[in-house]
Amino acid sequence: MAERRVTRRQILKTAGAAGVAATAPWWLVKTSHAQRAKKIVFWHVPNFTPLADELQKQQVYEFAKQAGVKESEVEYATVANEQVQPKLAAAIEAGNPPDVMRLYESNVQFYAAGGHLLDVHDIVEKMRREPKGIFESAMASVVYKGRAMGVPLAVNPWPVHARLDLLEQARLEYPKTWDEFIETSKKIQSPPRLYAFGMSLGLAEDTTDNVMNLLWCYGGKMVEADDKTVVMNSPGNLAGVKVIEAMFKTHKIIPPGSISWDNSGNNKAYQSRQAAFVMNPSSIYAYLNGNDQDLQKVTGLFPVPAGPKGTVNQIDTWAYGAFKKNPYPELARGLLDYFMQPANYDRIIQSTGGRWVPVYKRLFESPFWTSKPEFKHFIKMAETGVPVSYAGSPTAAAGEVLNTHVIPKMIQRVLVENWEAARALDECHKKIVEIYTRTAKG
Amino acid sequence: MASVVRTRRLLKWVGNGLLVVLLVWTLVPFYWMIATSLKKDREIYGFEATLIPRHPSLDSYRRLFATTPFVKYMRNSTIIAVSTTLASLVFGSLGAYALARLRFPGRSVIARGLIFTYLVPPSLLFIPLFAVMSVLSLIDTREGLILAYLGFTVPFCTWLLLGYFRSVPLELEEAALVDGCSRLSALVRVILPMSLPALAVVAFFSFTQAWNEFLYANVFTNSVEVRTITTGLTLFIVEDVFFWGPMMGAACLASIPPLVVYLAFQRWVVKGLTLGAVKG
Repeated sequence: MAERRVTRRQILKTAGAAGVAATAPWWLVKTSHAQRAKKIVFWHVPNFTPLADELQKQQVYEFAKQAGVKESEVEYATVANEQVQPKLAAAIEAGNPPDVMRLYESNVQFYAAGGHLLDVHDIVEKMRREPKGIFESAMASVVYKGRAMGVPLAVNPWPVHARLDLLEQARLEYPKTWDEFIETSKKIQSPPRLYAFGMSLGLAEDTTDNVMNLLWCYGGKMVEADDKTVVMNSPGNLAGVKVIEAMFKTHKIIPPGSISWDNSGNNKAYQSRQAAFVMNPSSIYAYLNGNDQDLQKVTGLFPVPAGPKGTVNQIDTWAYGAFKKNPYPELARGLLDYFMQPANYDRIIQSTGGRWVPVYKRLFESPFWTSKPEFKHFIKMAETGVPVSYAGSPTAAAGEVLNTHVIPKMIQRVLVENWEAARALDECHKKIVEIYTRTAKG
Repeated sequence: MASVVRTRRLLKWVGNGLLVVLLVWTLVPFYWMIATSLKKDREIYGFEATLIPRHPSLDSYRRLFATTPFVKYMRNSTIIAVSTTLASLVFGSLGAYALARLRFPGRSVIARGLIFTYLVPPSLLFIPLFAVMSVLSLIDTREGLILAYLGFTVPFCTWLLLGYFRSVPLELEEAALVDGCSRLSALVRVILPMSLPALAVVAFFSFTQAWNEFLYANVFTNSVEVRTITTGLTLFIVEDVFFWGPMMGAACLASIPPLVVYLAFQRWVVKGLTLGAVKG
């Protein structure tokens, strides 16, 4: 049998080919963002009002013109809310993320922690220097390790949407405390057509928001301000969970079907006039504005009722994030600065019809906000509101708690599987401790 | 004898009953889609779910055409699905013919590899594919999406056609070669006409896959000029509010092209599927 000889040249060739094959993906990803033809890439997440969408687009092109960028060098893409996560994950992995896009709540800290975002501290500082400044409550979600890594765009309060006509018929006022809320609810509801409280209790993010908001009023919270000490099994949380249990099982003011709702469940309940109260961002109000003005006219937006520890309102913050992998970072920063110039900013905010609450305090002085009674409480909510991760910040760990539905599973243990509240909270506490510990280790 | 007749009759009734259940199971979602598209928001969100729209209205369709780029989405989907189908037929036929008839090293490994390629889920591939397409400037282009779709349609089509081509008697092809046909000519004049049922299945499969695909379309396209109908549908969800009327209207209209394709190829599709069961 003839022996096959391998020459040095063949070995070198093979090794070279293997080297190229092994490093090609890395090289491709590394250089992909530098090869793009566009100078500004903006991903737009749609709003409720087409006018706001149109204005946003206009402003991108206005800025591009000012900056000497041709229209053909601008990519303006509309990305539906549902599409953002997979699209952004692929774009980041491929080294080709958008330059600027709107990020929701804990996403700023998540991407900042991954080293993907540009530091925009100077832009935010400039905003803070505007007369009367900005709502500092909005800073919680954008500050990462002491630096602003996102530009707070709008505050998103979670008011109680309340049916004023039903309250009026029963000659009742909007309840000031949760105890009053239960009594009022029993008087105005007529199940199964109309339940009083469309509380989200399914395995969905809104459930975490609704449950935590009520627990805060009873002195509960998820984590301390140090973002390390989880306090889910506290007496305050226990008291709050028992109130929810009583509302659901004893007083029967929450529709039984709410345990299977997704994030749109409470919206649908209110929009279909099957719930008198729901805790939700003003997306419901914005929907009614365009689709059911009869219901909008009898809808009031109120702070949540107070518990033994007072009233605490939830807010989220939307922010613009600018991604680092960008051959034209100065254009991205310029665009953010342009968006946030108060005159430009105010046009967009007002065009959303109340869906976005401004981060600049002084904009609340405009007749748009002062003339409508339903917006009366928004300024206080924006000033004092807290994120769902309260008393902690909306960190990546808090985001994981939200996305993995740890708290909805806890409340379902109590309502569906009839666990003792304390036992369910203990289990929930352990899960959250595990998430915070793992995330802290990186 | 009487008991046999009774048993047969019983079986017939049971069979018919099962068919009715399956029919309802299949048609009710379509009916619900159509009915919802004809309802107004208040009825959609109403306390009672109405089977027949109380006040049928074409408002959702009007909104669809007047306020959204629905027509562009349909156009893009059509171009992409038709192109993918044609390319899958061409590449699938050529590949399958080579694997079925030519002798070359690694042939069996490639033949087996085809099905493994098809089995890799798109959710694993979309990120590396995005990187490659970014470098090739194929992001947000119809061509890019067509190429991406060929990644899963061609392996399956080749594998399916491979079984058919193997079942075509070699003698027929040899006779064509003796008569002066080239290999390509023999493929086009002899093998393909005999494999029409298989080609119909392949065409139908490629078309529906390309038409219904969501993940790649979502990740690889950005602009209205390129976006397909599946990704366009998601724009009817704004935050936590679903605009059911227009969404259902769009879904109804989007289901027409695959239906037309299926009706056009139905005769061959059924034949192709059953033949495949024996010959593949």
